Amino acid sequence: MAITVDNLTNNTFEDPSRRAPLITGGLDNEGVTEVVADLAEAPSPPRIWWVLLAVSAALTTMLGGLILLLIFKGVGVWGNNNPVYWGWPIVNFVFWVGIGHAGTLISAILFLFRQHWRTSINRAAEAMTIFAVVCAGMFPGIHIGRVWVFYWLFPIPSEHLAMWPNFRSPLLWDVFAVSTYFTVSLLFWYMGMVPDLATFRDRSTSKIKKFMYGLFSLGWSGSARHWHRYEVAYTILAALATPLVLSVHTIVSFDFAVSIIPGWHTTIFPPYFVAGAIFSGFAMVVTLLVPMRALFNLKHVITVRHIENMNKIIMVTGMMVGLAYTIEFFIAWYSSNPFELFAFQNRAFGPFWWAYLAMFTCNVFVPQLFWFKKIRTSMIMSVIVGIGVNIGMWFERFVIVMTLNRGFLPSSWSYFRPTWVDIGMFVGSFGLFMFLFLLFCRFLPVIAISEVKGTLAFQKHMALAGGYSEDGDH
Amino acid sequence: MNNEVDNREQKKLVGVLGQFDDAHTLVHACEALRDSGVKKMDAYTPYPVHGIEKAIGIPRTILPWIVLSIAAGGLCIGLGMQWYTNATTQLLPFWSGYEFRISGKPMFSLPANIPVTFEVIVLSSAFASFFGMLVLNGLPKLANPLHRIPRFKRVTNDKFFLMVDVGDDKFDASQLRNNFSDWGATDVEEVFQDQTDWKLPAFLKTFAVLALVLMLVPPALIFRARGMTYTGTRLHVVPDMDWQVKFKTQTEGPLANNNTTTEFFFQDIRAQFDDLPGTVSRSDQSGDSEFFKGIRTGSDLHSSHTTPAVLASNQEETAQEETTATTEATAADEPDWVTTIPSQVKVDRDTVLRGQRQYNIYCAVCHGYSGEGNGLANNRAVALSTSGESAWTEAKSLYDPTVIDQPVGRIYDTITNGRSTMGPYATRIKPEDRWAIVLYVKALQKTRKTAVSKTTEDNSAGDKKDSGK
Repeated sequence: MAITVDNLTNNTFEDPSRRAPLITGGLDNEGVTEVVADLAEAPSPPRIWWVLLAVSAALTTMLGGLILLLIFKGVGVWGNNNPVYWGWPIVNFVFWVGIGHAGTLISAILFLFRQHWRTSINRAAEAMTIFAVVCAGMFPGIHIGRVWVFYWLFPIPSEHLAMWPNFRSPLLWDVFAVSTYFTVSLLFWYMGMVPDLATFRDRSTSKIKKFMYGLFSLGWSGSARHWHRYEVAYTILAALATPLVLSVHTIVSFDFAVSIIPGWHTTIFPPYFVAGAIFSGFAMVVTLLVPMRALFNLKHVITVRHIENMNKIIMVTGMMVGLAYTIEFFIAWYSSNPFELFAFQNRAFGPFWWAYLAMFTCNVFVPQLFWFKKIRTSMIMSVIVGIGVNIGMWFERFVIVMTLNRGFLPSSWSYFRPTWVDIGMFVGSFGLFMFLFLLFCRFLPVIAISEVKGTLAFQKHMALAGGYSEDGDH
Repeated sequence: MNNEVDNREQKKLVGVLGQFDDAHTLVHACEALRDSGVKKMDAYTPYPVHGIEKAIGIPRTILPWIVLSIAAGGLCIGLGMQWYTNATTQLLPFWSGYEFRISGKPMFSLPANIPVTFEVIVLSSAFASFFGMLVLNGLPKLANPLHRIPRFKRVTNDKFFLMVDVGDDKFDASQLRNNFSDWGATDVEEVFQDQTDWKLPAFLKTFAVLALVLMLVPPALIFRARGMTYTGTRLHVVPDMDWQVKFKTQTEGPLANNNTTTEFFFQDIRAQFDDLPGTVSRSDQSGDSEFFKGIRTGSDLHSSHTTPAVLASNQEETAQEETTATTEATAADEPDWVTTIPSQVKVDRDTVLRGQRQYNIYCAVCHGYSGEGNGLANNRAVALSTSGESAWTEAKSLYDPTVIDQPVGRIYDTITNGRSTMGPYATRIKPEDRWAIVLYVKALQKTRKTAVSKTTEDNSAGDKKDSGK
């Protein structure tokens, strides 16, 4: 195929008469295929991959050991105690679930809005979503005490005692929301990957790879009839995943908001949680993709423009979160409820003032750097802000959960301290996340090859038409 | 795995395949082919080419309707599941639901049931769209003659293909070859079906049979275990909350080592610890025996309730035997009960009224407001025990001669530690209030056994003033 796209070095510059290309470097269909397949076909991945894999595998092993310790000794190995019964496990759960929101948002909502730039990043973001939800689901899973009867969470008919879950409890809604979210994200991710797995199948030479990719690509042949149904199914899944992604963090926020604890019982929680989830999710995507595009030579597919777009979303959602923090205080004052007001004063000026300060600085002030184009197109700064945002978002959940440290009964007030197991498990969950992500980078198509080709065709069409026209979309 | 076999030497012709280098040429070829009257054709592309549906004549898929109907089913299942498990009782003979009352809220209220219903709808429709797409597409299809063609491997990379099926009415291999070339195909070839493709490798069959047999082993073992008589612990495939490994209080405790030695885990065979030395009880009641126990100071050493009477293997038995043992023990060596109300308790009208209030709260359900032993709980229990549905020792009338004769210390002890089926109230009623009840009971007794005029006169020493009513 002829090379028709501009080979611009800076595709972040917006010329009203002409759209800057989303795929640079003069890549054609074959070029895109090769850039992506190179990762999986290279005889050996870069040395840094091995180093990271070793570190993350060690951390994952540690996590496994700590989980065993927890199962054998009980939840007492954590710092959870009266009055903070929900300690780090729920903080980590909400943190990871929040991160898991960007993937489906990128793949579903941006798809419905026809944002073509999503095609370069959606696969990696979806993978990140799934791995984050794995880490998230783990925490409440091991928090239930008797882990071996975890299936009591689900409405499964039992042998002797009729035992059904309470369907009016937000904690049960959570079980349904998170497991549905995981399943649908997995389906979405896998379905998007089928044509690309077929690409890998058709390119691989080793017998094992041929068999595995052949099995999982389900015999995909690229038939136009298949593509037709595939696209319809993909659109339906996107339409389903859009309300789902919004519902999941809403329901997670219900865990807090449906209770009657001052500082938790607020209607702002659902939108504020969802905004925070998108915020932290995009920050994580940027943090992962910037090193990935550099390491695996994906600079022409994941361009500066993609990173910049995500940084803009980070800035917008960061301001939403900042607004929510402020409104919370206003409402606490406006409610004239002394307990509500106390809860918020306690958050900002109580024993955990340092966490509140960390949260506010990282979430509200740090993303403001993205007002400067130099910073939001700088790769290093993007990663720094991304990491900062995720630190801030972890502290946000910590601050919310630590509302419990000063309840209605002053005699029960106490200061929460995590144990080494708490810290080890949190670090270990990062290990698990990185471990899965590294395996994904090595063995699966990290870019939605077929979708990028569609974008490429669209881009070429636009270039021929000499501008951006409405009818170019179909 | 031998994909690179040259298919020209095989048997059955499947169709003619043309290769195109870009989407535009392909779409034009499709249109031209359709104009020539060919119907059974399909294009193969590396990405979805828009407008090709029209060019080939692909009808719109019914997938959305399938998903919609499954979603409607999800709605019914989601709502129905919550209604059945949380808001009905005994609707079906098995796995019945039960009314799940939470803070007096309605059993079934839509707002609280929306989240789960929504998730069930999304989950079922997501499965429907993914698997519906696969089924309609005939996937997974692991054997396809096209995948035998080396050139076709580029369909997932950068080439576009168009194939006309041999079953089409207008199928003519040589003419199609010419046409394809005219329309811009860079290569045209015939596709053949290798008949041997359809044969499964022999080892797969053996493997499948073996796997099936092996899969039957666990359920078979489970059924065997479920159907057998056991002396050991029962096997529970799905453990329920009512089958828990635990020791109940006042039962025989675990053996320390194994069955051969009779060494028990705790010092006295029981399943629970005795109070450790230095344990401070909820309120220290060791000081004043007369006030706290109703026993004269110095003679309270063998109170019958500090050590368990018997160890039994199940709770019901324990309850029964303990009862008899207690009765025997008290009959054998009756402690030296106090006969007067201890000095800490002020015997006056207020105390009696307090006693009445406490009596009406705690005692009247069984003993009746008037003390005749005809409380509602007692009456119901008596009715049930008459019909054989439960065992019950009737609540005593407070005017029973044996009760009338009891010293106040004995009555106090009954309230504190219970008697027969009556449970202990030590943890529920404060000592002062227990004495107040004793006072009220004594007052009640006097209303029956003595002329009203005499109630204020004779009484035990402490009971000086007005205790009558």
